[in-house]
Amino acid sequence: MKRMQSNFIFFVIRRIINALVTLVLLVLLVFVLIHVILPTPQAMAKVYIGSQHYTAAELNSVIDRYGLNQPLYVQFFNYVVDVFTGNFGLDSLYKVPEMQLLDRFIPITLEFVLIATALQVVIGVFAGGFAALWRGQVPDWIIKVLYLIAWAAPVFLLATLMQFAFAYDLKLLPALNMANPVLVPPKPITGYPLIDAAIEGDWAYFDSLLTHMILPVVSIAVAGFGLTTRIMRNSAVEVFDKDYVRLAYMKGLSNGKVLFGTVFRNALIPIVTLTAIQFGFAVSGAVVIEDVFLYKGMGFFLYQSVTSMDYVAIIATTIIVGISVIIANFAADLLYAVVDPRVKLE
Amino acid sequence: MNITNMLKKTLGFRSNVDAQASAVRGAQSLSTFYYLRHKKEAVIGMAIIAVFVVWSVIEGSLQLIGSYLRKPSLGWLLLPHNPISSPNVATSLLPPSPAYPFGTNFEGQDILSRLLYAAPKDAIAAFAVVVSAVIIGALFGIVAGYYGGWVDEILMRVTDAFLAIPGLILAIAFSILIGPGFNSVLISLTIIWWPVYARLFRGQTLTLKYRGFVEISRLFGVSEIRVLFKHILMNAIDPIIAYMALDFGTVILTYSTLAFLGIGVQPPYPEWGSMASDGLSFFPRAWWYTFFPSITILLIVIGFILFGDSFQDVISGRVVD
Repeated sequence: MKRMQSNFIFFVIRRIINALVTLVLLVLLVFVLIHVILPTPQAMAKVYIGSQHYTAAELNSVIDRYGLNQPLYVQFFNYVVDVFTGNFGLDSLYKVPEMQLLDRFIPITLEFVLIATALQVVIGVFAGGFAALWRGQVPDWIIKVLYLIAWAAPVFLLATLMQFAFAYDLKLLPALNMANPVLVPPKPITGYPLIDAAIEGDWAYFDSLLTHMILPVVSIAVAGFGLTTRIMRNSAVEVFDKDYVRLAYMKGLSNGKVLFGTVFRNALIPIVTLTAIQFGFAVSGAVVIEDVFLYKGMGFFLYQSVTSMDYVAIIATTIIVGISVIIANFAADLLYAVVDPRVKLE
Repeated sequence: MNITNMLKKTLGFRSNVDAQASAVRGAQSLSTFYYLRHKKEAVIGMAIIAVFVVWSVIEGSLQLIGSYLRKPSLGWLLLPHNPISSPNVATSLLPPSPAYPFGTNFEGQDILSRLLYAAPKDAIAAFAVVVSAVIIGALFGIVAGYYGGWVDEILMRVTDAFLAIPGLILAIAFSILIGPGFNSVLISLTIIWWPVYARLFRGQTLTLKYRGFVEISRLFGVSEIRVLFKHILMNAIDPIIAYMALDFGTVILTYSTLAFLGIGVQPPYPEWGSMASDGLSFFPRAWWYTFFPSITILLIVIGFILFGDSFQDVISGRVVD
């Protein structure tokens, strides 16, 4: 037992080192690509200025301020330090520190992307388990058709169809925005709108947030549930062939009991890793979804940065998203080792 | 006669092993297509892909010849209307009708013509990105898997870093940094696409490198390049081809999403994704403006998924019928 524990600690340490190395490589990757595309200090400085109109003096002052004349390894070191201290420079459009903007937009997106990922996993697990129970028969086939369509559909098609059906046609849910614009938003305490509204007891706003969130969340979940369903189905089909499932049936347990009691517990293991991957897809999806629903989070901010060619914002967003996905993967690895005792803790 | 040469002689090594391998491969690919022909999904998928590819080749070569002869009108020789005609208020936002089967956009251009006109670009994007990603991925993956050690460690950490960022967001960052245009999208999609193939090839190489025929070839002093190319690459490629078939669709999906966000081919040239995004301002009144481009993307991607999916089933031996 003691041996197991120390193994687990080694495993965690190894994973932490792995995650940190990946993080530094990620920053190196972005750094190298920026320097390949913008080889001279002048070209870099133009990006930081962010407009076509500048004087030579302005250019030089920017080169000095960001140390663009220094040797590359010094620049890289500074860059890594800056990234880990959250200093991404001034936004070239809003002229405020980039982190201030991201501080505002990230929680909004994180909130609804996490809910969407959770919903997507739930749909995928049940659909996949159900398909495995009926493998080779009509329900299996119907589920396959549904998830293949959802998989192949561009996210914006799903989003606009949802908007059309539930907002414009049936008028059940609001079509645009994060909350009713008439209501006054609560003071940001944590930055997460739902939590802030709950803390301040502003239930009218809370309610409005929730109803505005439904369509974007469901769109992302539908766009992503295909992969989970597919993997859950295949992993459950494998489990159904195992002796212990046959034993469960022989004990006279019903289909439902076998599915939830035996099959789910064993088939769910690959889903843990998959969820971290799906989180990344959901963040990508958020860029499009937020544009369709005018949901003003990080994706919408990124979209605006693209149209206004705000390089500083784009690079900062990319790195932040990378970091969050690395953290999600790390968490999934640990969880995986906890739920599956067969994982070799090497 | 030393012992190695004797062994070679008795085994008839070189010619025989190679011939056997290629015969097995030939039989495999024949039976693969035999099975695929009898799977309904695969046939539907192949039909969609065939129509898309044939049309793209015809329309693409017309556009190419047109631009070469400086007669761009050759590009819409087969289309019902001029896809990039100058704005016309009279035909603006017309709903679907016999003259305009998919309706018209705000500028009064025929949406069907624009969809057909944009097809070759998507085909080129899918083909170029997947093929270059496979080449780069094969190079890095096989080297990492075969040599192992620190080469492997470094290459795999690099792919981890790439895979950490959701592809779409990384592609946005790269194509904005490289600059506007079609080529910059192709380059950035390739940059984000190869790590997956490097992983796949590495995994395949790891399972192959200790197999008998590889060890025997090494024992007989077959050159390293030949071992890597003939024995590892050629035997690793089957499951990867199935994955590629699926991936053509995914590239088109990502490419359209980038176009939706305004990255890639610049106006007035049509692009499925950007057409859908332009239509959003007139949604839901002019629903056809967003709807038909999106449905086209869906249909093409479904074609690739159906084909790739059944292909994967056949290769992994899960064929039931």
